[in-house]
Formats: sequence, C-alpha cells, structure tokens
Amino acid sequence: MKLRRVLPILFSLLLTHFAFAATIGQPAPNFALTDSNGAAHSLADYKGKIVVLEWNNPECPFVKKHYSSGNIPKQQTEATANGVVWLVINSAAVGKQGHLDGTAANGFVAQYHGKPTAYLFDTDGKVGHLYGAKTTPHLFVVDEKGVLRYNGGIDSIASTDKDDLAKATQFVPQAIGEIKSGKAVTVSTSEPYGCSVKYGS
Amino acid sequence: MDGHSRMRTLLAALVLFPLAAAAVPDEDADHVRVSLVSEQTALVPGTTAWLGLRLKHDPHWHTYWINPGDSGLPTKLSWTLPDGFQASEIAWPAPHRMAVGALTNFGYTGDVVLPVQIDVPESALDGATVHVAVDAKWLVCQEECIPGKGSFALDMPVRSITANDTNVERLFSAARDMTPHAAPWSGMAHVEGDRVDVTLHTTTLSNAASLDAFAIDRKIVANTAPKITHHPNDITLTFKKSEYFAGTPAQFAFLLHADGQSWNVTVPFDATNASQSN
Repeated sequence: MKLRRVLPILFSLLLTHFAFAATIGQPAPNFALTDSNGAAHSLADYKGKIVVLEWNNPECPFVKKHYSSGNIPKQQTEATANGVVWLVINSAAVGKQGHLDGTAANGFVAQYHGKPTAYLFDTDGKVGHLYGAKTTPHLFVVDEKGVLRYNGGIDSIASTDKDDLAKATQFVPQAIGEIKSGKAVTVSTSEPYGCSVKYGS
Repeated sequence: MDGHSRMRTLLAALVLFPLAAAAVPDEDADHVRVSLVSEQTALVPGTTAWLGLRLKHDPHWHTYWINPGDSGLPTKLSWTLPDGFQASEIAWPAPHRMAVGALTNFGYTGDVVLPVQIDVPESALDGATVHVAVDAKWLVCQEECIPGKGSFALDMPVRSITANDTNVERLFSAARDMTPHAAPWSGMAHVEGDRVDVTLHTTTLSNAASLDAFAIDRKIVANTAPKITHHPNDITLTFKKSEYFAGTPAQFAFLLHADGQSWNVTVPFDATNASQSN
C-alpha cells in the first residue's frame, strides 16, 4: 500500500537524478572504476584536485586524430604535470569496437606517449550513462570542490582532420586555467563531437 | 580480350556515354560510393543548374545531415569553379532519424544526392566545356565510422539547350521532394525548466499522421523526438532541453517534417526568456 504510493515518487526522483546527473555548477556524480592495472579509482578520492574525464575508444577516427596528432597526449602531460588528475574512461561493451584489456590499454597510452593518471574500464556503461557521455572523445572537467565545470567536446572544430587543430580552441586546458585562477569557465558546455560511445545497452 | 577489341569497347563506351567517360570515376571508398553528378547534360548561360554529391551507401551504412545528431559529422563540400560560376550551400534534404542505442543521429541511407545550385553566368560561352570540381569530406558509419574524402570533377558542356540526365534525374527529384519549404506559420519558443516548448500557429498540420522535428540551431534542444500536442489553432512541440544549453538565444531554427513534406522553421524565444541573462 505504502510502497505503491512511494514508488512513483522514488521513480521520478531517480529519473530526475539521472537526467541531471551531470550538470554544470552541480557536484559531479561519484563513481568507482578499475583501471588498466587493476587498481580502483573513485572520483571522491581526488577531492581537492581538478579532475578531467576523457571518454575513449582507440579505434574511433576522431580519437585517432587527437592522439596521433599529439593533441590529447600533450594536454594530458601538461595537466598531470600541474597536479591535475586525468582519467581516461572506456565504456565500450564486450564485443564492441574499442573494447580492450588492460595490457592493450596500456599499450595504446604508451604508443602515443600519453600521460593520463589512469585508464579506466566502464564495460557495463553505467558511468558513461551517469555522465551522459555520448561520443569519443567527450570531456568533463571537475573542480577541486567536486563541482562539474565543463561538459563537451575536446575542441571547437568538429572534424577528423588534423589540419583543423591549429584553428581550434582547446576547451579543457582553457577550463583548467580558468578554474586554477579562480575565474568563471568561459566555455562550460559545447556539443561533443565524435563516434558514438559503443555502449552494450 | 585482345588490345584491339578492348580499344573498340572503350570507343563504343565513349560514344554511348560521353559524360560518364569524361567524369572522374566514382571514388572507391569503403561502404559508400561517392561521385559528382549533374541533373542536366549541359549548362545553359544565365541559368541555375543543379549538381550534387551522390552518396550510394552500402546497406545499413549512413552519412550525416547538417546537424549529425549526438555523434557523427556532416558532409562538407568545397568547390572549384570557373570564373563567374557560383555554388550555393548544400540544399540539405530532410534527414532520417536513426537510433544508435540511446543516441540519436540524423542522416541518409541508400542512394541519395546532396544537391547544390550552381549559377551559370551569362558570359559562359555556348559550345565551351567547363571544368567543375569539388573536394568532399564525409563520415560514413554503421555503428563504427570511417572518414572519407575525395576530389571529383565533371567536364560540362555549355549549350543553349539542355536535358535531364536520365541516369540521375530520379535522385534529384527525390532530393527535391525532401527539400524543406519556407514555413508559412509564425510561432514562439519558450524555455521551461528542462524543456523547450515551441508553439506554431497552424491549422494545416492538425491532421498530420506523422510529425517530427530536427534542430538546425545547436545547443538548444536534445536530439530526441519532440512530443507533439495539438490545439484548436496551433501545435506545441515539446523538446527536451539540450545538455549543452548555454543561455537563451534570440531564435531557434529547426526542420519540421510532416507526412513526407518538410519546412524550415525559425521562431523567436519569448520575451520572458530573452530578458533572462542565462
């Protein structure tokens, strides 16, 4: 009896929670995932630090553009050298393009001289759905207080063409710089562009 | 086949299909065959002609509309034309809505043409041949995606009379059927919490069996289909607000599709929204 009255309320709360799970200016939803070396990482572990989340699929042409050109590895190197935590997340389901094991993930990072803090697996797609990750790449920046400050694309020119990099605004370093100097983030959302995240469901 | 008979076949082909032989062969790209086509066999000085990029997709593969949706990339064209010739933007035919899991894409499948209007100057010489070239970039996806690019060209005769090229006229006419009209209705958009309501003052759409809308202006609404509500003198399209919404813009442009016809619609946001800074 009681349950019947409470359930719809619970359900709508859940829906609201998920629909607004990743909202600029709101606490970024917590998660716990295992990395390519078997270590556990939770967003809450990194309170006090700026955290970048990067959705990844090594087989996606858009990801290839930003790795083989050195754009993402360079951003990872600069960010982590300055105390920023950079978590790469792979939400590809088993059997889907871009799904890989820890060794292959480490090999991918090493191949392009990437310097992320960790490469995490989200094979059931729960964290991807929680954040509304749509494309690879898709980037999120969380500030020292755990508040989401950026949600969107890697840069301002949607293409698979390396020639466009010189003209493009790189939104993540811009957001990190602004957060570090206590400013408002000028571009806090952009439409992510790339391949669809290869979720299992 | 010896050299002579091969030459005879080639000559026969040249006589039978002069344009096809003059054209650069289709780019042999993975999962989509791409070519430059002309609706008509000749260009007439002082008129507009229709050329187009033909995309012949493998089954289950697609390329994208001007707004590709949650992932993907629109096809891009860059023309190289003789002096005085002018190419318009792609006259994008209405796209199909495609679901990829929970994500939405807008694009094309099958054998389609993206038409482009070419202005032929008065000064073009009757009897001349002009070289029309285009660099194209596209992304073709099933679930996985392959970027493609190619350069295509046609050597087109300039003549005082012309005729439809029967090889491609059905593709142009199909694209034309899907080309949006200018919307004859007024309307208004309004942001309300996590949704965007668009009201259109129309009675002509009240009997439409199928209605859908596709955002042209970005970062305003989510790409999922709007909910349609019919009222006596208007309809309301209720969209989910975009996750990347960054303040109310002045207006919202979208393509409305109803029963095989489509319209380009641009509505202003109402004053209560416009007065809000964010």
